[in-house]
Amino acid sequence: MLGELLNPYHLQIASFIMINIILGISIYITLSSGQLSLGNAGFMGIGAYTSALLTIHFELPIFIGVILGALVAGIFGILIGIPALRLSGVYLAIATLGFGEVIRVIFVNWESVTQGAVGLSGVPHLGRELFKTVTAMGFEPEMLGLRNNQVVYLMVLTLLVVINILLIWFFIRQNKSRVGRAFAAIKMDEKAAESMGINITYYKVLSFTQGALLAGFAGALYAHVMAYISPADFAYHRAIEILIFSVFGGSEVIWGAIFGATFMTILPEALRVISEYRYMIYGVILILMMAFRPQGIIDVSLLKWIKNMIKSRRRTDHGTGTKKHN
Amino acid sequence: MVLELKNITKNFGGISALTDVSFKINKGEIFGLIGPNGAGKTTMFNVITNMFLPTSGEISFHGEKISGIKPHKITDKGICRTFQNIRLFSQMSVLENVLVGGHCRSNSGVLRSVFRTKSQRKEEANTHKVATELLELVGLSNYEDVIAENLAYGQQRRLEIARALASNPSLLLLDEPAAGMNETETENLFELIKKVQQRGVTVLLIEHDMPFVMKLCDRIAVLNFGKKLAEGTPEEIQNNQEVIEAYLGSEEDDQIA
Repeated sequence: MLGELLNPYHLQIASFIMINIILGISIYITLSSGQLSLGNAGFMGIGAYTSALLTIHFELPIFIGVILGALVAGIFGILIGIPALRLSGVYLAIATLGFGEVIRVIFVNWESVTQGAVGLSGVPHLGRELFKTVTAMGFEPEMLGLRNNQVVYLMVLTLLVVINILLIWFFIRQNKSRVGRAFAAIKMDEKAAESMGINITYYKVLSFTQGALLAGFAGALYAHVMAYISPADFAYHRAIEILIFSVFGGSEVIWGAIFGATFMTILPEALRVISEYRYMIYGVILILMMAFRPQGIIDVSLLKWIKNMIKSRRRTDHGTGTKKHN
Repeated sequence: MVLELKNITKNFGGISALTDVSFKINKGEIFGLIGPNGAGKTTMFNVITNMFLPTSGEISFHGEKISGIKPHKITDKGICRTFQNIRLFSQMSVLENVLVGGHCRSNSGVLRSVFRTKSQRKEEANTHKVATELLELVGLSNYEDVIAENLAYGQQRRLEIARALASNPSLLLLDEPAAGMNETETENLFELIKKVQQRGVTVLLIEHDMPFVMKLCDRIAVLNFGKKLAEGTPEEIQNNQEVIEAYLGSEEDDQIA
């Protein structure tokens, strides 16, 4: 029964959605302090290559590779974030886009390490490694009536869902705190924020670094889910794709990036037939969004509306409940 | 003495916005800074809060030299300001604006915020308590959840004062708090500033509304073309010949005209 429902292809897409959500959160978090960074594809690449190379050459366990990948990307985030403080708006966007291109060109040309444009194959696969571990512990897929590859992809997806829930929880809480208020204050009026005693240097670098760290983390996971990476995976197109998650879904709230990432991952799969025109469709969506809903699909007032809907629904449910008693 | 300015000069390129200005503000007083447009009043505020570094001169706050330290550290030391052209966090709610004002009086970082440790919850509750008190003080208790930009103009000015007070300053700088207010609003503002004074906060304000300034301030300094023209009690200033000339023009000017 379960075995017929689980299609490895669908599981794989769901895993990509999870990774893209992390990327969406990564751009949301830098945007939440008012910085538009298009360098997240570059940070993603750094995370991916770091983790892939460490696990291939030094046979480190995947989870250590992923953490180190994220950390290295985070360190690059600090290094880029500090000089980037002098820039804002489009200037920052262009500078970070430039950074992403530099990283990609390094991946292409540093052939002795990265194997150039051919890319790295044979990256340890997260699912298969997990599978090895659980079978070693005596688990058999037949116990659940599943085939091996179903279990492999199911475990990857489960792990990613758990990671995503933790990340979303983390950033919602951060957002509702003193740190989140400082980010929002800087985004709305940097000078006023500074006058209110907020150390804008610290908070801007913090949010930039968090974004880089997350992008690197997503990149490292990507490497181990795909088992193959090449510089083209982290090119200009990826930077724009990440931007679209947030622009389309909404850049004001975390749910915007989550929705955007989910929708924009499903869309090209659902429209396989016209997948060649994907980037054209992206462009049209960007133009339409800028013209009609610049804040993105999900914004603060929409969230409020949804909350009120749920509340009033509950109230009426309660009402019918008491009627039955009568 | 709360604030002492010694020979402050500020040049922008070849233009001298402030020339050799000195004055002292005593604890607990309301000190007015007046002068015609372009006299350098707001520049003086920006110099005090270190938004601009003075070209020369020295500022001390409670006897401690504060020239050259970062603006956010100035707030931390106890100087907070409002702006001439209101600069609220316009998309935030009224309450959130005041909570941001409490930033430098709390110190939870990312991890403590995310894991909501006991100390963080206590700190957050305290920040909320202070904010609600201040909103009551400025008469905005019923507007806590309103988005700041939807407030009426006079209310926005009062919210800016509440936000600044949330940083628990010992010196509050008000940049034209009565600008654009009607008579009732100005009267309410007068009461509010008096209440702030009673809380032990020293106030330095820039204002163009002369009857308001004369009624409110304990002492006044007059700036004209970046230079200090006079300093004294409201009566002294009102009778100072140079000040009258700066505001109304001298008799020779009239003859030329």
